[in-house]
Amino acid sequence: MSIESYNGGAVMAMAGKECLAVVCDKRLGARLTTIGMNHSKIYEINPYLYVCLPGLATDALTVYQRLRFRVNMYELKESRKISPQVLCSMLSNLLYEHRFGNYFIGGVVAGLDPATGKTYLYAMDCLGAITIGTEGFVTGGHCEEQLYGTCEALYRPDLGPEELLEVASQAFLSACDRDAGSGWGAFVYIVTKNKVELKSLKARMD
Amino acid sequence: MALQELLQLEKHASFGLKSVDDVELSEEIEELNSEKLTQLPITPFTMNKNVQLRDSNTGRHIHINMEKGTTTLAFKYQGGVVIAVDSRATGGDFIFSGSVKKIIEINKYLLGTMAGGAADCSYWHRSLTVRCRMYELRNKERISVAAASKLLANILYNYKGMGLSMGTMIIGWDKRGPGLYYVDDSGSRYSGDLFSAGSGSPFAFGVVDTHWKYDMTDEEAYELGRRAVYQATYRDAASGGIVRVYGMKPTGWVKISEQDCKVLHYKYADEKMV
Amino acid sequence: MTSERYSFSLTTFSPSGKLVQIEYALAAVASGANSTAIKASNGVVLATEKKQKSILNEEHSIFKIEAITEHIGMVYSGMGPDYRLLVRKARKIAQKYQSMYDEPIPTSQLVQRVAYIMQEYTQSGGVRPFGVSLLIAGWDKNKPSLFQCDPSGAYFAWKATALGKNHVNGKSFLEKRYSEDLELEDAIHTAILTLKEGFEGQMTADNIEIGVCDKKGFRRLTPSEVRDYLASI
Repeated sequence: MSIESYNGGAVMAMAGKECLAVVCDKRLGARLTTIGMNHSKIYEINPYLYVCLPGLATDALTVYQRLRFRVNMYELKESRKISPQVLCSMLSNLLYEHRFGNYFIGGVVAGLDPATGKTYLYAMDCLGAITIGTEGFVTGGHCEEQLYGTCEALYRPDLGPEELLEVASQAFLSACDRDAGSGWGAFVYIVTKNKVELKSLKARMD
Repeated sequence: MALQELLQLEKHASFGLKSVDDVELSEEIEELNSEKLTQLPITPFTMNKNVQLRDSNTGRHIHINMEKGTTTLAFKYQGGVVIAVDSRATGGDFIFSGSVKKIIEINKYLLGTMAGGAADCSYWHRSLTVRCRMYELRNKERISVAAASKLLANILYNYKGMGLSMGTMIIGWDKRGPGLYYVDDSGSRYSGDLFSAGSGSPFAFGVVDTHWKYDMTDEEAYELGRRAVYQATYRDAASGGIVRVYGMKPTGWVKISEQDCKVLHYKYADEKMV
Repeated sequence: MTSERYSFSLTTFSPSGKLVQIEYALAAVASGANSTAIKASNGVVLATEKKQKSILNEEHSIFKIEAITEHIGMVYSGMGPDYRLLVRKARKIAQKYQSMYDEPIPTSQLVQRVAYIMQEYTQSGGVRPFGVSLLIAGWDKNKPSLFQCDPSGAYFAWKATALGKNHVNGKSFLEKRYSEDLELEDAIHTAILTLKEGFEGQMTADNIEIGVCDKKGFRRLTPSEVRDYLASI
């Protein structure tokens, strides 16, 4: 078992019509033993912008703190809010700076432009190689492969917030049910132009 | 065989194929399926436990990723033996199946549990089933639990160091009453009142050790087994699926329950709420 | 070490609280060639005089107006060699920003960072302040911007301004001619007229340089384009 899957955990973001679903599981493990069941992997940059850091939990925490430092400095220096594209580039650079001795995490950036309703999805590996989520969803973490399968099967474009919640939750829980390292419940952020809702999903607890 | 000779049929039904190779092959298969159950062909070179197979392309050691994560549990009490297991099969972290039968019904009075390599467990239990039946036919009485478990332990000892992966319990009822043995791939065999095997076993032990009493009623014992395995599925990522509970009584084994972990979890969660 | 003895900053306060080195630097700017810049509603124009010392000079191979990125350009009054160092640093700052955030540097950010360097040269050991003031023109997301950077590290945002020998007259000329709804084409004319104030001798396409910045980005006008503008005055 690799160090990246020491703590387990999975994340996913899915875009709808002028809305966004950001999902993570709640498990925190130590190899096979589940030691926490309320561990979020989603970090809020602002109400319209989220970064998910699946992988080694200690690295995720450190990377979030360093990213937060850079975001704060950027927003103070430039007196403007950071955009999803810039955040993605910033995280990618932060990760590549540790090319030799890397952090054991992945990265998912999900944002919504509150003015236009346009959604932005990005995923990256532990060294910062960016994948743009043009299919309408991005995934990361322990059961990435399963998530790709369920998302490709269930995703439809231009979903409204209620339908998006259904589809994203179903895709996420089904994928976690095929992975020993993820699950034990899930958090879902449903982001729309004028509202953010945080839902907690019940799941299998094995 | 007698009928075959009477009808003057060929010794080996070749279905129109005359090739000598084909006949030899069917002969081999036949032999493998009956008498040579405990003599599997080994690698063509001298088997040495230090010799490892290598991938012909990469030259790396071949590592067979076998199912290891499991919770199996069996304990004795005044009414007999309780056997409880989960049903998850994993390969690495991937869940291959959530509905595996890890309790193997050897015969009406004998059960085996599987932990470790799924193929190893099912193959050697099948072999044990055959040998127990042969014993019964030859001796006109059922094999004892001690003898059955020893047959298995001897086989595993013969293959010691060759990579088998098994941690199994043999549970039964014979002249001496309830029997419970633990046998594993190192060739060891122990008799005892409580065993648990697999990655979830520490959690299951914790529950049983806390609540076990010899004088439990059947229902209490079944519930303890169920609860112990459920708790293991809750904490152990490699255990889960369905919790199966069997009981061993003087009349043979009985299947008590098979319940989904999800149902059990929310039932127990509701009970905790005041 | 002898060098250590002189490694303190040369820019030291005078008893009256002035930093005379900076004032000397500003004097170098104020005695330099004229430059002017005007921010119009749909773009910015930079213009400067480029008097040739000899008729033997090749006019169109060395430039005073330089592009920093696709959408930012700058010009100076003062010392040419100092300017070229700042151009080099500004370009590097812009490229670093681009690679860090994957988007073009906002003009205000470039100005802040260039000004930061200019300030460093007023406080570091073994260096002197830059003998230039910069005019930086940029176009960010549908908005023109115009800034001035001084040797002290101070920077200002202007609607229109002038630098160099004739900056006082240039500014008062601009104060009279500037209006909020000025268009880029008119601004180019106004810039040429501003340079013309106190221009010694005949103004030609060979002795002035013009740069424009609009939604298409920053570019330096070709001598023939400059000639056309001069002809229509």
